[in-house]
Amino acid sequence: MTCPMESRNPEMLVAYSAGELDPETASALERHLAGCPACRLLAADQAAVWKALDAWETPRIALDFDQRLFRRIREEVRFSWWERISRPFRPMPFRQALPLTVSACLLLMAGLVLQHPGRIGPVEPRHETVRLDQVERTLDDLELLRQVGMANQPESGNSNAM
Amino acid sequence: MGAAAATLDYDAELMLRVKDGDGISFGLLLDKHRAPVVHFLYRLVQEQPVAEELAQEVFLRVYRSRSSYEPTAKFTTWLFRIATHLALNWLRDGRHERGQQRLDDGLSNGPGRQISDGRPTVEQQLVYEVKLEQVRQAVATLPGKQRAAVLMHKYEEMEYSQIAKVLGCSESAVKSLLFRAYESLRARLAHMG
Repeated sequence: MTCPMESRNPEMLVAYSAGELDPETASALERHLAGCPACRLLAADQAAVWKALDAWETPRIALDFDQRLFRRIREEVRFSWWERISRPFRPMPFRQALPLTVSACLLLMAGLVLQHPGRIGPVEPRHETVRLDQVERTLDDLELLRQVGMANQPESGNSNAM
Repeated sequence: MGAAAATLDYDAELMLRVKDGDGISFGLLLDKHRAPVVHFLYRLVQEQPVAEELAQEVFLRVYRSRSSYEPTAKFTTWLFRIATHLALNWLRDGRHERGQQRLDDGLSNGPGRQISDGRPTVEQQLVYEVKLEQVRQAVATLPGKQRAAVLMHKYEEMEYSQIAKVLGCSESAVKSLLFRAYESLRARLAHMG
């Protein structure tokens, strides 16, 4: 067997410590270890690490672990039902809401146009009424001024004479 | 390998039953995998309450994903992938630095070590705790992925190919990760042999 260190295959020594090698390869490696101090040292160190890790025990799991988990699952299931019911009423992201809002506005405007066809048009009659009033008032004012002017004429004539 | 295939079929079958709304099958999966997942997470994050909280999240995610579950990989690969992802995120967020507990805190609820007559002497217990602290510290110094790889290799006895699938890397990358990790551990723990 070629030396695992020289053949750049030191992973083989890790696999040996982990008992992952097939019996044939393991016994070939053991024969190699007998004559190779570098590999022997690495294998011994790896075995020490393996043994140290074996000693690492874990604490007991809390007795209410399952109870807590099932409580969370129940809450989740209840929440998911609420989600399904409330989803249509939740505020949407802007990108999703914009086309819907625009469509709704257009529909509303179309409805208004169809319901009140006379009220929405190019000419606003109220605006014209105001203008007629103004014209009438202006004409009345002019007539008044003319009358006042005529009434003042003899006086002005007198003053000129003076 | 035959046993592994049978396990694959059994776990996947249970999960498919969960998908069909069978709660009992979820209970069976929980019974089978609760301890391996909690212990793996405990050794990864080294805080028992955090490990249990993360394990709850793992099983909750399994339950949540039941409707979209497809048995494309081994169930344990999927399970440990979720667990590793959550734990590495937790470690990356640096949350462990705020509340690192002492080793003996973790052991206070632990099984204790039974030596010869069943009850360790005070001296034996102290020696054991010092050694264990060294092991814990040595593992804690490993980068997250190396740590996860070592724990899956050593304690879950996973094959390189499965570890690779869990970590989302190649098999040769796993071999390299493991060798570097064990190299660090040898430097710190070889004297304990």
